[in-house]
Amino acid sequence: MSMTETDRAMMTKVFSSYYRQADLDVVAIGQREFGVGFSRKIESRHLSFMSPGELRNYLTSNTPFFVSHSISYYDYPGATPMEKKGWKGADLVFDLDLHSETKYGAFLLLGKVKADLARLVRDFIKGDFGCNDVTLNFSGNRGYHVHVRDKDFRVLGSEERRELVDYVMGNGLNYRDFFSETPAKPAKLLGPRQDEGGYRGRFANMTLKVLEEKPATIHRNLKQEKAREVFVKGIMEGNWSTSPFQKNGELIARLGPIAQALPVASVDTDAGVTQDLSKLIRVPNSIHGDTGLIAKTFDDIDSFEPLRDALLPSSQIIKIRFLEDVPELPLRGEATGPFKKDEEKELNLAVAGFYVLKGSATIVKR
Amino acid sequence: MEKGGLNFAVRYPFSEDAKKAIADIQLTERIADLAVERIKKALAGEMRARAVLHESDKEEEIASFAAARMILGYLRNPFLTSRFAVNEAKIAHNWLDRNENDVEAVARSFGIETTDRKGRMLLRLPVYLRYSPRSVDYRITNRRLEDGMVDITSHEKKRLTEEAVRKHVERIPLVRDPPDVIKNAGEKLLESLPKTQEARGIGAVMKVEDHPPCVERLLESLRKHENLNHQARYYLATYFMAIGMKDETIMQAFSDAPDFNQKTTAYQVGQIRKKGYSVPSCATVMTYGLCCAVCRIGSPLNWHTLGKERKDVIKEQVAARTEERTA
Repeated sequence: MSMTETDRAMMTKVFSSYYRQADLDVVAIGQREFGVGFSRKIESRHLSFMSPGELRNYLTSNTPFFVSHSISYYDYPGATPMEKKGWKGADLVFDLDLHSETKYGAFLLLGKVKADLARLVRDFIKGDFGCNDVTLNFSGNRGYHVHVRDKDFRVLGSEERRELVDYVMGNGLNYRDFFSETPAKPAKLLGPRQDEGGYRGRFANMTLKVLEEKPATIHRNLKQEKAREVFVKGIMEGNWSTSPFQKNGELIARLGPIAQALPVASVDTDAGVTQDLSKLIRVPNSIHGDTGLIAKTFDDIDSFEPLRDALLPSSQIIKIRFLEDVPELPLRGEATGPFKKDEEKELNLAVAGFYVLKGSATIVKR
Repeated sequence: MEKGGLNFAVRYPFSEDAKKAIADIQLTERIADLAVERIKKALAGEMRARAVLHESDKEEEIASFAAARMILGYLRNPFLTSRFAVNEAKIAHNWLDRNENDVEAVARSFGIETTDRKGRMLLRLPVYLRYSPRSVDYRITNRRLEDGMVDITSHEKKRLTEEAVRKHVERIPLVRDPPDVIKNAGEKLLESLPKTQEARGIGAVMKVEDHPPCVERLLESLRKHENLNHQARYYLATYFMAIGMKDETIMQAFSDAPDFNQKTTAYQVGQIRKKGYSVPSCATVMTYGLCCAVCRIGSPLNWHTLGKERKDVIKEQVAARTEERTA
């Protein structure tokens, strides 16, 4: 971080005043290990706090730039080494993370990941896994975190969690195995029905959707209503031989792209978060020190806009000077920038802080 | 205890019924001897349960299981413990096959409770995950999974129960200062093991320590006598063949696995050789969930074309990640 002393002192003051009123209700706070950092995510760990008030005191007086808590619950969260903590279980946490070539590229893609987030939560976590205790928060930087706290999932070990990540990512998914042929001649092709759960049901549903919207991508003849109806009726009954294809193999091969679109791709990058039981994850509603954005919790995926809703609350205006060119971004609900190197600008404190923490600007002393 | 209950306890010596049955029994030398035999049988992969004819022998038979656990808790040898757990679980599975009426009770004791829905047998996902063997057939990706319920068959229910037994038996508490009869039995057991046992296995075969990190990690698991899943074994076998190891040497490498079976391994290795299966690509290794580094080499075999410097960088990254995880 290329911040000056003045920048850092100013941001520390802003963070500290935010923490005075922030919602820091960490579930089972007394059983969590905490880690903090001043210039990177974790510089010291094995900390513990018995109450939100204790955590608040720590954050307002010491004000680290990064604060995380364990996904695990422990008898003695502050004990070292790890074996002495007395592991009791862990939340199931999914981390959807974006990667971009440019410094600000990922921020423009945050909206796009929301579609994956919605699918992950609705179809996979609630639908397939049957979980109910699910909370969401912005990561404060380039993605989203999903915390699942259903009791019977807490005891799962690392390998078992890996199985869930693999499921979400579609690792080992072989849609060809969904099909089997009856021994009778001519062979009937049995396949998934839409009322089946999991990938099988989803595959049938998606195929029906493609038949409705773009039937020709499967077979030219499916543009005709009659042929389509026959095939759709067949799929409903689990009989996929009703397609216009002469050979079943050709049909199955043509359905490949449908199967490929079923998993949630953006979980991919951080499978370790779900699997690794000693992992520390950003405290919901704490500030991400690389951006000054709040790792804000939210309920409604559609209406949540991180660059509008996760900024520090402030009406103060400060003057900054840009150290490099930055592109236009939708901050605080309005188009902001682009800014040129050496340009001086008076901006809302939250917006100015974002550029300062990103290393793109410095505060101009009055 | 009623007669049926005692027979049940003999079949499933890890059950609550079994614990009750031997609550008042004195630990004797005879029981300790039976316990040593029980462990030796596990090492030989002998899955048939001992025929117990007399009522009076039944309690001793159950007690021999408890004594075996004490011996293992005293010896603290992970290899012996794993082999014992694997074998006891297989014996239990055999009993379940012959006594279908037992399945419900034994499964339930591990929380494996299924519900029937229109002829389908459904099990809660977390329970399924805990006890399903890590093999491709049990992956949830290709199964019916709905609202936290997984479809299983009655055969699979027994297999899951076997796995639950294995995990349960494997968790043996430390026995720091056991009665002399247990100490003596433990020493007797160690003496009776072939001396070559230590010289065998992975340490003896794998002198060269230069493999891709994913292979290293699997070898480390074998050294620790941990079980590897089918894909991991398949991957290791194809890799060993590709770097020019002989079948016998490969067999030896696998002999550290707790569920090692000479015949099965010989057959599997032979099949891979016969069919000429090649080493999976890095992408495939990744889908097996076995990749643990960022080598960017496409195929694990290309590891051997990398320079020392590059290898060191990759190894360091892996080490740093492991450390970060355990820090």
